[in-house]
Amino acid sequence: MGNSKKIIETIKEQEIKPIPRWRFTAGNALIWLAFVLSVILGAISFSIILFAIQQTDFNILSHLAHSRLEMFLGLLPFIWIIFLLFFLVFAIFSIKYSRKGYKFTTSRLVGISTAISILLGTMFFISGGAQQLENIFATNVLSYESIQDRKVKIWSNPQEGYLSGIIQRADEESIQLIDFQNKAWKIIYKDAFVAPILLLEEGEKIKIVGTTTGKKTFIAKEIRPWGGMNRGKNQRRGSSKD
Amino acid sequence: MLISKEICKELSDDEIVRKAIAQVDYFSCLYDRYEHKLLRYIKRISAVSNEEAQDILQDSFIKIWRNLNAFDHHLKLSSWLYRIVHNETVSHWRRNTAYQKGQTVRISKKMAESISFELDPEESEDAKFVLTHQVLDLLPLKYKEVLVLKFLEKMSYEEISDVLKIPEGTVATRINRAKKAFAKMAKKQKISFDAT
Repeated sequence: MGNSKKIIETIKEQEIKPIPRWRFTAGNALIWLAFVLSVILGAISFSIILFAIQQTDFNILSHLAHSRLEMFLGLLPFIWIIFLLFFLVFAIFSIKYSRKGYKFTTSRLVGISTAISILLGTMFFISGGAQQLENIFATNVLSYESIQDRKVKIWSNPQEGYLSGIIQRADEESIQLIDFQNKAWKIIYKDAFVAPILLLEEGEKIKIVGTTTGKKTFIAKEIRPWGGMNRGKNQRRGSSKD
Repeated sequence: MLISKEICKELSDDEIVRKAIAQVDYFSCLYDRYEHKLLRYIKRISAVSNEEAQDILQDSFIKIWRNLNAFDHHLKLSSWLYRIVHNETVSHWRRNTAYQKGQTVRISKKMAESISFELDPEESEDAKFVLTHQVLDLLPLKYKEVLVLKFLEKMSYEEISDVLKIPEGTVATRINRAKKAFAKMAKKQKISFDAT
């Protein structure tokens, strides 16, 4: 009985009190909140990466072997990839330090967090949220170069064989085009591949692979809608380049 | 006012925890119930003297008292107590021996015998027990702790997982590796358990 008496006396003498339950509950709630937020932010990052991949238009890349990697890397949103990795790691650490977090192996935690981020991110992307968020960032964050801006930059290199813009007029052999720098072009396309989904009519935004034959003339090899797979949505919505 | 042994005996672990939060004297029931087991465990995983072990246990129980509200009632109380005592012992050991990862603690046979006598007089009569401790003390902590919990404290994988805060799969893997490391070390020390 001696030792137990000693410890009770110490507790009483030093007036040691148990830490209130609410502090543990709050601590645990904070950990879970950090996990949920990290997974959501990871999902958003993933959805924007998906959006960037969609904008890369792999159909065209498959014909451009020499610059495929260059264009893909040019469009990859590295900042969002870094965010995704950061939030994944943060989510894993959050759950690891939760009350029962030690029950999971690191590989399982990585799997769970990644799966949730991918699932939510894909849903966010499909709902069009990624594009809207990208636009919000582009409008409100000064130093942020949007995927669309980068895409315009890549597709505004007629000397390299990449041109893009809005159709002003089109007939069976040529197109009058205003590029995104407001320069007028005559596009000859009689031998070019035109994506079946594309309607060559006024107001359509397109991207073209070909060669320049003069200061304002461009011979097209391939014409595709500007927005990639999301043609209808991207092209007819809003007044910006998207 | 200390609570009598008879009253303590009738209470479950969970009841003691609940009552102790309301009235500190009930905390003595917890101390009395686990003192012997936890003291023995401290000595098994570290090469500390009886006095040091007592100090570690006292410090651990102050910590247990402070964190009593953090006890998750889904967990076995014994696992939670072992966890706190384990952490306190390792911290104490590291503080006092400038312990580094992978480092082992070497103790003499005489010391091992004296420790084992203090631990459990009945078991210590068996020479195997002393030799087991000799080999255990030469193993890295991460192997030693799982072997002690599994084979000396007779805990399940789930309980070891709760004490060490590692997944059950990791417990199983570590025990396997620890057994091999134990056999290798015994061979190196020319200790045969079949002969004793």
